[in-house]
Amino acid sequence: MISNFLNMGGYGLYIWLSYTFAALSLTSLYYFSVKKLNSIKNIEYLYQSEKIEEVSVSAQANRS
Amino acid sequence: MFGIFKPRTFFNLANTSIFWLKIIFAFALVVGLILSLVFSPTDYLQKDSVRIMYVHVPSSWISLFIFLIIGISSFISLIFKVRVFSVYAKSLAPIGLVFSLISIVTGSLWGYPTWGTFWSWDGRLTSMFVLVLTYILYVSLWSFIKNYNSAEKITNIVGIVGLINIPIIKFSVAWWNTLHQPASITLTAAPTIHSSMLAPLLIMFFSFCILSLIIFLIRYKYEIINFRVNKK
Repeated sequence: MISNFLNMGGYGLYIWLSYTFAALSLTSLYYFSVKKLNSIKNIEYLYQSEKIEEVSVSAQANRS
Repeated sequence: MFGIFKPRTFFNLANTSIFWLKIIFAFALVVGLILSLVFSPTDYLQKDSVRIMYVHVPSSWISLFIFLIIGISSFISLIFKVRVFSVYAKSLAPIGLVFSLISIVTGSLWGYPTWGTFWSWDGRLTSMFVLVLTYILYVSLWSFIKNYNSAEKITNIVGIVGLINIPIIKFSVAWWNTLHQPASITLTAAPTIHSSMLAPLLIMFFSFCILSLIIFLIRYKYEIINFRVNKK
């Protein structure tokens, strides 16, 4: 029964190749998009923490 | 006029909606795959090979629709100088490129058992190939041109010029004798496809649309943060 399903009336190779290609392409696109976003989120975080540091340093300077 | 398209509106939308969109996508994909691979009937001529349609047709529709949005966004960005539209277009382009590649590859894999050849330089296939090349050009220009303003202008022009190809792809099966069959589903007439095949086709299309939206929101967030970081 499973082999019949995989065989798909003799067209299994074409059908499974199509679905596999689509799945791999879309998964890669999603993976690289998330990876790209995460990489820049770290930079954004560094900028934000730098900014906070700058503000606290200038506040300390004002106080003294 | 374009207040609704403010970056902050889309940024907030991205933060709040991605989780729920992923759940809707997973559900739609599982239902779509079960219907496509198990329950949909075989075609009387193409037999089981018709199941490739459930990936091929939604991918083609999405790749065309995304380029239409890129073209319109490029036009608005170039004429009205609303910069956020070029960010939309830039975020959408890789998604459209991947879907157009899926369309070409699955089309070839469907073509071999039904037409006896993987490829033919006929109207529909050639115009789809031109769309893939236009996507590659568009994405490459954003990568290779380092000056943001220059890249924005040039890609806007590519987006507008590329729009010419969209009606050519759509009507190629009517204008020329092609191996490709005419459209079974149009906006102006009732579909000539049976509901048992139409349902999985529309569900797969819906799931691909949701996935495109998820990836678009992720890429859009990246582009906005990147823009802010570069400005600093």
